Parts: sequence; structure tokens; C-alpha cells
Amino acid sequence: MTLLEIDGLTKRFGGLVAVDDLSFSVESGEIVGLIGPNGSGKTTVFNCIMSTYVPTEGRIQFNGHDVTDDKTYQIVNHGLSRVSQESNPIDLLSVGANIKLFTLPNSFLACALPDAILARRSDGGPGILDHAERVGLGDKIEEKPGSLAHADVRRLEIAKALATDPDMLLLDEPFAGMNQAEIRELSEQIEQFREEGITMIVVDHNMRGLMQLVDRVVVLSSGQKLAEGEPEEIVDDEAVQEAYLAGEHGGIKR
Amino acid sequence: MSSDSAFVRATDAVKAQLRTRLQPVWAVLCTVLAPLDRAIQPVADLYNRSLGRHFGTMTGLQFGVIALGFGMIATVPFWSPFYSETLNITFAVASIWAIFAMSWDIQSGYTGYISFGHSVLSGAAGYTIGLLILHYDPSMGPLVTIPLAVLASLVLGLVIAVPSLRLRGPYFSLITLVGVLLFTNLIFAFSEWTNGELGIHQVDPFTYEPWIRYYYMAIPMLVIAVGLTYVARSNVGMVLLTIRENERAVSSAGLDPTKFKISSFVLSSIPMGIGGALLVYYGRAINPVSFVEISNSIEIIALAVIGGMGSIIGPLFGSFLFFFLEEELLRDFIEDSSTRTLVLWLFVLGVLVFARNGVFRVVWHALGAVRGDSE
Repeated sequence: MTLLEIDGLTKRFGGLVAVDDLSFSVESGEIVGLIGPNGSGKTTVFNCIMSTYVPTEGRIQFNGHDVTDDKTYQIVNHGLSRVSQESNPIDLLSVGANIKLFTLPNSFLACALPDAILARRSDGGPGILDHAERVGLGDKIEEKPGSLAHADVRRLEIAKALATDPDMLLLDEPFAGMNQAEIRELSEQIEQFREEGITMIVVDHNMRGLMQLVDRVVVLSSGQKLAEGEPEEIVDDEAVQEAYLAGEHGGIKR
Repeated sequence: MSSDSAFVRATDAVKAQLRTRLQPVWAVLCTVLAPLDRAIQPVADLYNRSLGRHFGTMTGLQFGVIALGFGMIATVPFWSPFYSETLNITFAVASIWAIFAMSWDIQSGYTGYISFGHSVLSGAAGYTIGLLILHYDPSMGPLVTIPLAVLASLVLGLVIAVPSLRLRGPYFSLITLVGVLLFTNLIFAFSEWTNGELGIHQVDPFTYEPWIRYYYMAIPMLVIAVGLTYVARSNVGMVLLTIRENERAVSSAGLDPTKFKISSFVLSSIPMGIGGALLVYYGRAINPVSFVEISNSIEIIALAVIGGMGSIIGPLFGSFLFFFLEEELLRDFIEDSSTRTLVLWLFVLGVLVFARNGVFRVVWHALGAVRGDSE
């Protein structure tokens, strides 16, 4: 079943074409890699999907809904959640409260209810601690985000996205700034999310770390789709090699 | 943050100086107060276990000071004559303005969308009562007029909030600013109805007995304080605070920031209406100068800033402190009222520069730290 379908997506900023007539789709249960050199439009695609930007042209369908004109919070409530490249926890709140925010109902009155009643209404779904434990933050929910190590701040971003109970996660450079051990651990967690039924798109600017993780790769260059296929095909694709060399990114091979 | 600007560096240096100078005093205070803190702790824990979940937990001393503060507010008519004849009146007025400051806080202090025109909301309530009594039925009692007045400020709140809070950034503040100027001018434009600058004076008070009158103002204030503290400490407070810190994060959480902003403004307009109605029956009159004009809105902000924005209880005590300084303490030293006002506003400026989280928060954190537990 097709979960996400992007059809003829174009985003222009004045004269600059950031994304140019891009189409691809993601099947339920897949992990798709979206790669391309810096400035190739990967993050802009995510921004258009999440309605951070309004697409200039094209349609985006998610789970049978046309979400092109929806607001960000509506898209999240349809079951699409994003882990952005920048971490932006609220430093005034504890790690647990940062996660809790993402579990709240979109209702002023329901939010004013005591937690005990709120929990009864949500009939025992996963709690804040469960979300924290899924990314290995179970023992840090009382801490303030400011006191966390970089990798833990990134984990918090993922826990927040999971707390919205998504069908699909958009991960924007999830491995940035992590060491080898942390990358391995996160890859395993991402596999685990898939086991739990979450479909994912992972953005990265090179293939390192993605090869074993993804089922399929979409390569972007200057906002256009350059290639699409299984990771092995993509690594050997000449057009892809060229794009990376031209962009002085020789790092497509592992 | 521009932490390297010369101004910030200078104020930080002064603050550091002050801290070193006050260190011995603080050490003495700690040795004196720590046993007291420990002694009250069991009582505070009783509160923490029962109501603490809804209103926030406290240390022994924090609980002691809050209990003492509310105890004093609850008994003003009994002890105020020992201080001065007028204190009773001063604190009745402070109660009304505390309602305004707390109402402003749940909206502007929490979401960061600063309203410069909150006095239109109390003004709408006040003029509803004034116009009803003057033009409709002079015998109308407060039981009829006050609900209508609160309804009027609620409706006006919606009229302001719905178009302005859909936008992000400074537009909301600018619209509230224009709103208060517009409302003031409307009162003058319809002078044959509103009596213009002179205002409406045909309002009968709740009572002529000063000490009962105090409770007519203080009890609603305390009820509103409890209600707004509850909301601020609930998940709603967390969402509003996140709107201030990072509005996009609210959207990413699947929450509609516009809905929460409008709701907080509407929530704010209800106690604003109640406060406006109380002010009419307290002063037995309504006029643009003491109700609606922009200086009233600015004063509401000042009260909240002194106490500490985003804390509800801070603006409450900020209001009592401000009116105590203005009407009581400074009156004993400074004859001239405009000099007194000048001193007061210098005090507000001082709070903004040296304790921008408010006097109440400084005291609160100090009280929580006498046993050296935190920081």
C-alpha cells in the first residue's frame, strides 16, 4: 500500500528552483533513503511535506488524504512526524515534559484536565517513559535538555516525534555529529521502529550508514530526481557518481 | 542573545558585585532560616502530596511565606489599621489590579504575545455596566450587570484575538495597541452616550462599609488566582510557554498554536471583565482616564513585570507591592505625586534590568535555596 505519494512537487524561491517537478512514493513499511549533495533540495522536500513551506506546484498525498494544503499540526495528526536537523528542545522543561508536549491532545480544554483523567481518556497507550526508553533516554527524563550530551539531544528529538504516534517518520540527517558506536545504535533503533510498523524516509548527504538501513534510495541533484533504486544500483550509477564529483562530494562509496 | 553587548556586560558586572557583597548576609540568613525551613517542611509535604500536583510543589519556607502572604491578604481589615488608615483601601485597589495583572500574565506572560491594550477588556466590561445603568435601567443590580459585562469583554476578546493571533510576530501587539487607542476615541466620539471625559457616575457601590468592600475585591481576586494558577500549572501552561519559546515546536507536536493563542486570550478576557466590573462598583464611576486609556494597559504590564511574568502568583504580589509603594511607603517620604510616580517607574526599570524574571522569582528561589539544596 502506498503511504506517501509526491506528485510533481516544485518549490521556487523567487528565481531559484529548489525542488523541480519531483515525484516519488513510499510504500507502507519501507525505509527510503533520500540522498543528494548539500543544496540539492532534500530538506526543502521535507519542509514541503510538513507544510513548513507551501509548495509552488504539485500534490502530496498521505495515507489517502491530500495534505498539500494542510497545516503542520494537521499533518502531524494524520500520522506524519519529522525529526529535523536542528535540535530545538524547550530548555525550561525537563526531558520528560518535552516528550509529554508531543503526546497532548489538540484541545485547550482537554489540556486543562489533570493528567490522571487525560491518561484514562487515552486508554493506556504508551506513556512518556515508554517513548524515552525506545531511544534509550529512560533514565534521563528528569534532566533538563541543556545538560544532555549531543547524541542524547538527538535521541530526545526522535522520542518527541515518536510520541505523536506516527505511521511515518521523516528523519533529517539523523546521524549528523554522531560517532560510529552511536550511529550503529541508532541504526538498530530505526530497524526496531520499522518492526513496530513505522515507515521512514531518511535524509543524508551521503550513503555512509544508509546502505544497510534503507530498502530504496531516491537521489536528488539540484532539486531534480537523478536516480531511484536499490542501494547497490545507486552506488554504481554513473550519473550519481558524476553529480557527487561535481559537487565535490566524493563520499558516495562507503 | 546579544550577551556581549556593553549594556549586558555592565549590568552583569553590577549583579556579580552585588552578589559578592551580599554573600555574608545571605550566609547569615541561611543559618537562621534553614532550621525554620526544616521545621515547616512536614506541613509543606502535606500540601505537596495533596494539592502540589496541581499547583506545584514547595519547600518548607516557600510554603510558609505563601501561607503567610495569603493569610495577610485574607485578614487585611483586621491588621491594616495598625499600619495606616488607608491601607485597607490601597489593598482593595491592589486586589483589582492584581486580577488585571494575572489575567494579562496567562496570555502575554505565558505565550510571549505581549498585549499593550488589555485595558480595553476591562473597559468594555466597565462601560457595559455604566451604559446599562445610565440608559437602560438605573435599578439594575450587579447580579445582572456583571455577567453581561463579562460577556462583553469575552466578545471583545474574541474580536481582537481571532484576526490578530492568526499572525505570528509583532502584529498582535500592534493591533492591541491600536485597539486601545480606538476604544478610547470611541468613548469621546460617542460623548452624548458615554459622557466623554467626565464618565458615568450613577453607579451604586456594593456597600459603603470599607472592610466588607475589601472582601468584595479580595475574594474574587483569590478565586481567580487559584483558577489561573491551576491552568498555568496544567498542560495548557506548558503549551502556552512553548508557544513563547518555540512556536514551531507546538505545531510539530500536532497542536494548533492559533487555537491555543486565541483560547488563552479569551481565557484572559474573562477575569479582565470581572476585574473591570469590580473597578466600576469600587469607584462608583467609570471614565476613560482611569479605565481605558493606554496608561492603564502599561501599568498592568508593569505590575506583572515587577512580580515576574509567566508565574501568575508573581503578578499578584507585584500588584500588592506596587500599590503599597505608591500609596503607602513612598507617600511617607515623597510629597509630590509626580516625583513618586517617577521613582516607581525607575523601580520598574530597575527590575527589568537587574531582575528581569521579577522580584517574586528572586525571593522564591532564595527561599528554596536556604538549605543549599539547589544551585
